[in-house]
Amino acid sequence: MNGSNVPAAVDALQSRYISSLDRRDFDAWLGCFDEQGSYICISRENEEQSLPLAIMMDDSRERLKDRVSYITQVWAGTFEDYWTRHFVQRLECTPNGADSYLVVSNFTVFYTSARGGSEILVAGCYADQVIVGADGTAKFRAKKAVLDTTTTPRYLVYPV
Amino acid sequence: MSNLAIRWPANQAELPKAAFHREDLFQREIERIFLGPEWHPVAHRAELPKPGDFKTFRLGTAPIIAIHGEDGKIRVFFNSCTHRGTQLQTQARGHAKEVECPYHRWLFNTCGDLLAAPGSESFPESFRKQDYNLRELRSSDYYGVIFVTASPAAPALEDYLGELKPLFAKVLGDSRLTLLGYQKVMFSSNWKEYNDNEGYHAPLLHRAFRLLKWQAGKGTQRATEYGHVGLDAELQSVPNSDFLNDPSLVQCRDGTAPKSVIIALFPLATVLKHIDVINIRLVIPHSVDETEVHYAYFAHQDDDSAMLRHRLRQSSNLLGPSGFVSLEDGAVFNRIHQGSMTPGNVRYQKGIGAPIAPPCIVGQNDESANPLRWEYYRKVMEIERERL
Repeated sequence: MNGSNVPAAVDALQSRYISSLDRRDFDAWLGCFDEQGSYICISRENEEQSLPLAIMMDDSRERLKDRVSYITQVWAGTFEDYWTRHFVQRLECTPNGADSYLVVSNFTVFYTSARGGSEILVAGCYADQVIVGADGTAKFRAKKAVLDTTTTPRYLVYPV
Repeated sequence: MSNLAIRWPANQAELPKAAFHREDLFQREIERIFLGPEWHPVAHRAELPKPGDFKTFRLGTAPIIAIHGEDGKIRVFFNSCTHRGTQLQTQARGHAKEVECPYHRWLFNTCGDLLAAPGSESFPESFRKQDYNLRELRSSDYYGVIFVTASPAAPALEDYLGELKPLFAKVLGDSRLTLLGYQKVMFSSNWKEYNDNEGYHAPLLHRAFRLLKWQAGKGTQRATEYGHVGLDAELQSVPNSDFLNDPSLVQCRDGTAPKSVIIALFPLATVLKHIDVINIRLVIPHSVDETEVHYAYFAHQDDDSAMLRHRLRQSSNLLGPSGFVSLEDGAVFNRIHQGSMTPGNVRYQKGIGAPIAPPCIVGQNDESANPLRWEYYRKVMEIERERL
């Protein structure tokens, strides 16, 4: 697609992504990744020390689908629910081969518990590989959420 | 020490819910348990493999630092300058040739010796450098797990671990491990809610086991006289892995039969192996209602790249604060903390019969080891029971 439209396509994808999480539409969340897509959520502490362990490591389509089952079938009804609001700011969007772009964005996620208060859940940055098709639709080939928040204030149920 | 005014029921299977909320108990726990004659794991050797490597942690609320000395020995110190008490290292983990306090530039080597104190020519004549080395804690290691105690009264570590000693080889093998990384989380619960878990809940709370039709095989749960509980159980391979699109999450690939071996140490640490996940959980009790847990995951030095990859993928998604078969535990810790702000006592039921005393074996899916751990706690805390 026309290179000048790429940032708009990338931003539209990020908006779909955070909107699907905040609405808890996990089919829509899954739809943000292409068939080879992966999602990793890792602490900056591990990342900076070259420790590969993640908080969520969904490095295949199968694992992305399993993540949806964990939330909707396995854990449902046990955890203390919370509502999220994601805020994302794109910092970089760099071409990386045919139709592929490396995108770096900051994020903050607020959460509101059933008790009613709202606080920051995590802050960090996304390092993403986005594929933008000829028709102008964008999908994640790889999405990595790197959490500055080393000790999360509660256990994470939903992807970031 | 004066007796605390808390009504502790006469029945050994009962526990006052107030134990999870009383500030005065928390203060006494810090003195009696965390700075008292118990052993507390603070690291595995694999977390600080080279001379100069260090790791900071807390002993109760007190900051401590483990340093791999230039002489090859790992020592644990209070993370506090011997001059004015300034915290020395603030990073969770790192590497340093020396330890320098930023306030007045007192300088220590990796063995804890004070090397230099600027302006010492005008210190009192009685000042002797050797009196100001870093304050070292008594430490000892077992299968690479480094334990510390602030009290000279603690028994020898191997006596303290007692009947659970054979489980360490089952979890840590020959102890030549490599660190994969950490998951860290805060629970809005008391540390004693976090460590009060048992085998009764496992197939009930964790729906993953039911969806996979995954039953534990034969096993034993053992309680020791120092309040530790050890589980050693076979796991069936998963009969219904259709539920998972990626069944490698629950597959055992290290060439042995799949097992769950859990060493739940008093007061708080857990050393465990579940399928191919090797995990040490260390805990900081911040206050009566804030408990921070660090999950450290390991691979074995002899793992080939495929096994390393498998352990990494299983460790990341299976057993941590957001794990497939473990997330619900955190929810329960927090929910017990809220629910126990109600009057009255808890009463354990599953497997409770005639009074038993450790060391002993209890049912794998029972909660009868919990009162034994509480009984050890009560004695350490010097709390008297009500009379029948």
